[in-house]
Amino acid sequence: MEESVNRRLPLVSASLLTLITCGTLLLAAPPDQKSQTKATTAKKAAAPASTEAPTVSTATITVNGVPDIDPTKAFGSKTAPVVVEIYSDFQCPACKQLFLNTTQKVMDNYVSTGKVYLVHRDFPLPMHAYSRVAASYSRAAAHIGKCEPVEQALFQNQEKWEANGDVKGTVAGVLSPAEMKKVQALVDAKTLEPLIEKDKQLGQTLPVTQTPTSVFHSKGQNYPYAGTLSYDVLKDFLDQLVAQK
Amino acid sequence: MMQSAPFNYRRIIIWIGRLVLAGIFIYAGYAKITMGRSPRPPLGVALGFFEMQVSSYQILSRVASRFVAHTLPFAEIALGLLLLVGWQLRIWATLITLIIGGFFASVVRAYAMGLQINCGCFAKPEPLDGMTVLRDGALLLLAVLMTVFAFIEARKPHPWSAATPEQST
Repeated sequence: MEESVNRRLPLVSASLLTLITCGTLLLAAPPDQKSQTKATTAKKAAAPASTEAPTVSTATITVNGVPDIDPTKAFGSKTAPVVVEIYSDFQCPACKQLFLNTTQKVMDNYVSTGKVYLVHRDFPLPMHAYSRVAASYSRAAAHIGKCEPVEQALFQNQEKWEANGDVKGTVAGVLSPAEMKKVQALVDAKTLEPLIEKDKQLGQTLPVTQTPTSVFHSKGQNYPYAGTLSYDVLKDFLDQLVAQK
Repeated sequence: MMQSAPFNYRRIIIWIGRLVLAGIFIYAGYAKITMGRSPRPPLGVALGFFEMQVSSYQILSRVASRFVAHTLPFAEIALGLLLLVGWQLRIWATLITLIIGGFFASVVRAYAMGLQINCGCFAKPEPLDGMTVLRDGALLLLAVLMTVFAFIEARKPHPWSAATPEQST
């Protein structure tokens, strides 16, 4: 009896040890990939499909020798004799003044008539805490065809959102819920950040030393102008540029 | 017999003022017309651009800005040449001093108001900052000294003028 117990003891010990080892290995192993995918899929299915960033193009174009233009942030005819780039920061008061008092009139009288191709360039300044966020939302809105209302809202309500940082709320106020979801998805995915960075780099090579800075392109020449502009005076200059032969 | 001119610090400052201010004025006028480019842009474009810079100071009316923009560059060149030549020095020195005084006042006002504008002084885009104020202040000081000394020296006979008959005997 004793001998049979002694003979079986090593076998039992080895079996127990094997079981314990296997059990430990099983518990320490990473989760099954298949099951993880299922969970993710399930998660996706549960949430609305619009949280996925819509597919957008980040391709840029060149107009009249002006490179790297995001067509969603540009307005007018590509055959216009004058191209105007405006480097601005959504949190800059002078940029707000330019946008509300001058740019709108340029849009009405020169862009819509095919005389000027207007390009908005983002140049968020480091000292403005929320200007980069505002630029991201504006860019995303532009890519769903809502550039103008969002820019208008951001500039008009500049004092509000720069005080509390609520850029998202300001943008949501002028977009439908479905549009806002698309915009938010684009902002979260940071799909359009390279375009903002490109604008910044272009400005730094100019160099842009303050905002707003407008660059007028005509007949192969460019005329950078820093500071805000009144429409009455800008109008005369634009007429001179357009009249060049 | 002529004598060598004695050391006269006033005349030295007058000469320095004439050379420096004449050079700056001629260059400033030329730069506004050509915008520092070759070939220069059409005159209408250059003066239109300068008009935008003048109006950005928010001092003059639109008509006055246009007048200044279309006349100042040429006036600067003419005054610079007249100062360099030295003909009727007191008149042109006074006028230049008044013009520089006007520039300085405009720059100080714009700086105090925190206007984010270009100086508009030369072709190169130049943000208006503290250095601009200091520079224009220094030029104004030089212009004032040049003008005052020109008036003082005008009352005295020129050191190289021929001796009078009484002095000869």
